[in-house]
Amino acid sequence: MTTPLPSIPASPDGTPPSRELAFEGVGVDLAGVTVLRDVTVTLPQRRIAVIGSNGSGKSTFARLLGGLVAPSRGRVAVHGHDLVAERKQVLRMVGSVFSNPDAQIIMPTVAEDVAFSLRRRGLTREEVARRVTATLERYGLAERADAPAHSLSGGQKQLLALSAVLITEPALIVADEPTALLDGRNSRLISALLLDEIPQQLVLVTHDLELAARCDVAVRFEDGRLFEVDDPAPVIARYRRDLG
Amino acid sequence: MIALYRPGTSPLHRLPAGPKLIALMLLAIAITVFASNAWYIAGASALVVAGYFAAGFGPLEILRQLWTLRWIVAVTLITQVIFLPLPVAATNTGRVVTVVMLATLVTLTTRTSALLDAVERGLGPLRRIGVDPARVGLVMAMTITVVPVIAGYAASIRDAQRARGAKPRLRILVMPLLVMSLKHADELGDALVARGAE
Amino acid sequence: MKFDVRDLARIAVFAAIIAVLGIPGAIPIFGNAVPITAQTLGIMLAGAVLGAWRGAAAVVVFLLLVLVGLPLLSGGHGGAGVFVGPSAGYLFGWILGAFVTGAIVHAGHRRPTWWRTALGCVVGGILVIYAVGVPVQAFVTHLPLGATALSSTVFLPGDLIKAVVATLITMGLWRAYPRAFGDQVRVTPAAKVDATVR
Repeated sequence: MTTPLPSIPASPDGTPPSRELAFEGVGVDLAGVTVLRDVTVTLPQRRIAVIGSNGSGKSTFARLLGGLVAPSRGRVAVHGHDLVAERKQVLRMVGSVFSNPDAQIIMPTVAEDVAFSLRRRGLTREEVARRVTATLERYGLAERADAPAHSLSGGQKQLLALSAVLITEPALIVADEPTALLDGRNSRLISALLLDEIPQQLVLVTHDLELAARCDVAVRFEDGRLFEVDDPAPVIARYRRDLG
Repeated sequence: MIALYRPGTSPLHRLPAGPKLIALMLLAIAITVFASNAWYIAGASALVVAGYFAAGFGPLEILRQLWTLRWIVAVTLITQVIFLPLPVAATNTGRVVTVVMLATLVTLTTRTSALLDAVERGLGPLRRIGVDPARVGLVMAMTITVVPVIAGYAASIRDAQRARGAKPRLRILVMPLLVMSLKHADELGDALVARGAE
Repeated sequence: MKFDVRDLARIAVFAAIIAVLGIPGAIPIFGNAVPITAQTLGIMLAGAVLGAWRGAAAVVVFLLLVLVGLPLLSGGHGGAGVFVGPSAGYLFGWILGAFVTGAIVHAGHRRPTWWRTALGCVVGGILVIYAVGVPVQAFVTHLPLGATALSSTVFLPGDLIKAVVATLITMGLWRAYPRAFGDQVRVTPAAKVDATVR
């Protein structure tokens, strides 16, 4: 795949733009319960696996980056932009993919749904149409452009969801269990795309430890705390041992 | 979802959707208010039939549309006959059928997307009271997307209950349907936020 | 009344629920002349669950989709015809009906109770809808108001059953999934924690 690197504005002093995710003393309370606490970590790697048991806080971590929950304490910066102070800008830099493909489709047909991502971006009708066609061709959905989105297979729906995210050329993709509801073949297709083909930085929340092993770094959460950050191999090995 | 629109190239098909809807409403009210004797109604229904022919629909299509109105005819006629003399009841029923057939002609000759646009434009003046037509359009499109998903939930709930030998009843069907659907709504809300629709 | 994007998702999903309730549970008493189906159950639930404004908005979106030609009314009816026929007033009454149901069930942002939910479903889901529907039906069919009102009582038993079912479902949903009611109700902390932690 030959997608150019998404353009990230250079800093005024000419230093190369940061591609780091930076967390400083971050905590999240939801309805009076602390679901994430004291997260301090800097992640410059391209592929970041996030693992941990259910309720460990790993999904909250992803939702934080996707702008779906706000930090109650601390500071989050995505490629140098503050998540709270520059929320609009950060939301445009981050694309989120979830497990349920049905719940990510907003417009009735494939092409309309992909085009939905480009609304309010000040693009002409022609430019939107051109980008939609190019994106659908790249991800093998061109033939289904005018098909009702719900008529796609599960794997194609997830491909559509991913296309609708990638068309905006985000700098960071946050994928929360993107293959959980897919069969083996589609799961391999989507994970190959995320891990090997796109140039964007990727935060991949997953229970699939084989996927985690293919990332550049693994982050493990337990009980709402950051448990450890290291190369995937040792983190996964310890996690397997703890699971018994 | 199959829309009721029938493609065609007649002058009626080519009329813009907004004016067509407005003309329909005015005509429908005029016929309803003023057509009080059989002659007027005969004239109005002749015009409507002419409209069907002009739009390229044959007698068969007219009969098919009339057949879909059979219950309206039956209920209107029966309730009228109880209270009014037969000729008056027949006149009134004829007028109702004429008006509904006229409206159906608009539906048959206008693309759903054109009507959607017309509705969005028609809502423009409501901006002053805080209605955003673009948002209404978005919610309408989302509803079209979601109907098959919710229908799928309903079917799977029915199947699951049948598999357990339970007789599907309205209440035990709708309760889980609401829970699944509203969870879906929350996820959809996440997707809207994530995709920058805030 | 300002809706955020999560509200839009719930409104779209509820409009779709009303549409889906028209597919299986249609109980055609006298056919579909005056819609007597599970869809009025959906109207009551829209108000009772989403509240007055969002519930009414869901009904408006549903009716707009019917207007633009989608066959979403039970029995596959739709298009402009239903808005000029005898049942037009009942359809318009649905909007106000959902609003009043929601206003009563959630009066003062309190949690729904048995008696308030039942009252809301009967007043909003039956009385208000008839209050709008009967005069319009009399206007369209030229049948005197009193006679129209009398004839419409045929549908009353079915509607009362639906009000009972809507009340049972609403209270069941309140216990099983309070999150469904959104932020319009001040949920007790314990219940909310239970429902929001993923």
